[in-house]
Amino acid sequence: MDSSFAITGKGYAIVAADMTVSRSIVKMQYNEDKIKVLGSHLLMAFSGEPGDTVQFAEYVERNIRLAQIRNTYPLPPPSAASWIRRELADSLRSRSPYSVNLLVAGYDLSTHEPKLYWIDYLGTMATVPFAAHGYGSYFALSLLDRYHDPEATVEEGLATLRRCIDEVSKRLVVTPGKFKVKVVDKNGVREVEL
Amino acid sequence: MPQTRSFDPYTENGGTILAIAGQDFSVIAGDTRQSEGYSIQTRYAPKVFRLTDRAVLAVNGFAADGNMFVKKVKQRLEWYRHAHAKDMPLRAIARLIQTMLYAKRFFPYYVYNILGGIEEDGTGAVYSFDPVGSYEREACRAAGAAQSLVQPFLDNQIYFKNQVPAPGTTHPAYLSLPDVLSIVIDSFTSATERHIEVGDGLEIYIVFAKTRDLQDFETIRAKNVHLIQELTVAEDGERIFVLRRDLKKD
Amino acid sequence: MSIMEYNGGSVVAMVGKGCVAIASDLRLGNQALGISSNFQKIFPITDHIYLGLPGLATDVTTLKEQFRYRVNMYTIKEEREIEPEAFAHLVSSTLYERRFGPFFIEPVMAGLTKKPSGEYKPFIAASDLIGCLNFAKDFVVAGTASSKLFGVAEGLWEPGLEPEDLFETISQTLLNAVDRDAYSGWGAVVHVM
Repeated sequence: MDSSFAITGKGYAIVAADMTVSRSIVKMQYNEDKIKVLGSHLLMAFSGEPGDTVQFAEYVERNIRLAQIRNTYPLPPPSAASWIRRELADSLRSRSPYSVNLLVAGYDLSTHEPKLYWIDYLGTMATVPFAAHGYGSYFALSLLDRYHDPEATVEEGLATLRRCIDEVSKRLVVTPGKFKVKVVDKNGVREVEL
Repeated sequence: MPQTRSFDPYTENGGTILAIAGQDFSVIAGDTRQSEGYSIQTRYAPKVFRLTDRAVLAVNGFAADGNMFVKKVKQRLEWYRHAHAKDMPLRAIARLIQTMLYAKRFFPYYVYNILGGIEEDGTGAVYSFDPVGSYEREACRAAGAAQSLVQPFLDNQIYFKNQVPAPGTTHPAYLSLPDVLSIVIDSFTSATERHIEVGDGLEIYIVFAKTRDLQDFETIRAKNVHLIQELTVAEDGERIFVLRRDLKKD
Repeated sequence: MSIMEYNGGSVVAMVGKGCVAIASDLRLGNQALGISSNFQKIFPITDHIYLGLPGLATDVTTLKEQFRYRVNMYTIKEEREIEPEAFAHLVSSTLYERRFGPFFIEPVMAGLTKKPSGEYKPFIAASDLIGCLNFAKDFVVAGTASSKLFGVAEGLWEPGLEPEDLFETISQTLLNAVDRDAYSGWGAVVHVM
């Protein structure tokens, strides 16, 4: 199963997700981008049931885009996260629910704050300073409890995230391989190499 | 048609037990209701037993196992008396109970035990056990049907958990006998109110160290002459009393 | 694995003398794994009503949003604030609508009812997940620590508590109960009206 992490810091949020696509014991691909850029200041890492993930992520991507076209302005992170959560919550009690877990990270241009939402396939949403999904969460959350600093710079934040990835690579039975890392701050979204 | 047979030798008979250790006394209590499912089998089935002049055992869970277990512990203590011409010390009884429970590790006595009494050094003690013999010495413990109702209340009132002492003061190291008795009675009236398997009657055993001044207790005793009975056998040793009270019967 | 215990969390409400209090923990978990220590379970409904929603976290959010919508519609239609008693029945009927595919939530309400004389009467109520209301006169509990809350509340609560004493009583009740519950804790919040 895939692992994804995210943290917030002083004026930014960082999202990291592994790049492996596996089926049973076989790694099918090792350069998959599992972090969607939903807008100029909005990121979404997705994981879960293969098939559902991309389908749901693209559905979200297009609806967020539609909202921006309709309203001129993009949905701020809290509104986007609420809408996405509601889609999952409604989907849960439908005939074919999506099994997708998300980390929605954004920079709120109205409050000048980074925002991070932990959302699971049930539609559970929590606003958190740091978050993780998948087996990696069992390692990352305890590390982040110890090392997360809401006042840290981007460089320090990336170093903290590096710890999480290194630990997962070291201790998880099935090594997730490479990680894609994206940062969102007041200047928008960018990809970084760790 | 495939046929299956099953033999279930256990049942759960409700009720709750509780013990609190003081500096030089120990209080062991249990309700007297015995039930199976929604039926009350009897309103008076003691769960607390005097073992020696300084040891009291409360047994809760499967009543048949409980009674058998107490019987066997008493037998072992009698053998000890015959061999050594004295009563077994409390900590030794605790270890004996562990070995007796663990001896039946793969067909356990389905009971939670709480042993209360006076240690050889004269301190009040409580030992609590799981059904297979894990045990520890504690200041207080609740077990049985209403354990989840009573134990957090005891954490608050006995260990002063989540309470901050007033500036310049500290929490008392030991509680007085009247305070302990009030907490025990409040615990059982609360449990009776909210748990259907608790009620009918309450038996509170009080064990005093040899050296203890019983003045505070005599005050309580004078006010409750008809409720309190002395169970002590030997003279000028530890003393045991039992206080019997009614609990709601609905 | 019980759905009601999947995310953990507990709420308690108590009546005092001319006041009410409602308190909850702040944990959000995935079974044994803690996810958030800042998950709100108590929501203001009007200036005189608070609603606690322990249970499945996705339904906490969904119901919070649904109650906000329904209370707003009520306010617009009636041109007045909803009364706690009426709100309790709104909660009940909202849950019973889903009788055969319920929201996994056991709501707890606390509020103040304005009497014709102008003074406020304390009001508390709780409901099961399909809307069976319980109008208790003393205290109500719900969530994964409910049995512990019952035990401590039954021991600490007394009639006629003043606001300061009610605050202490409900705080001690919640704290000591959640400390014995692995699925509740990680912070707490208390509201006194």
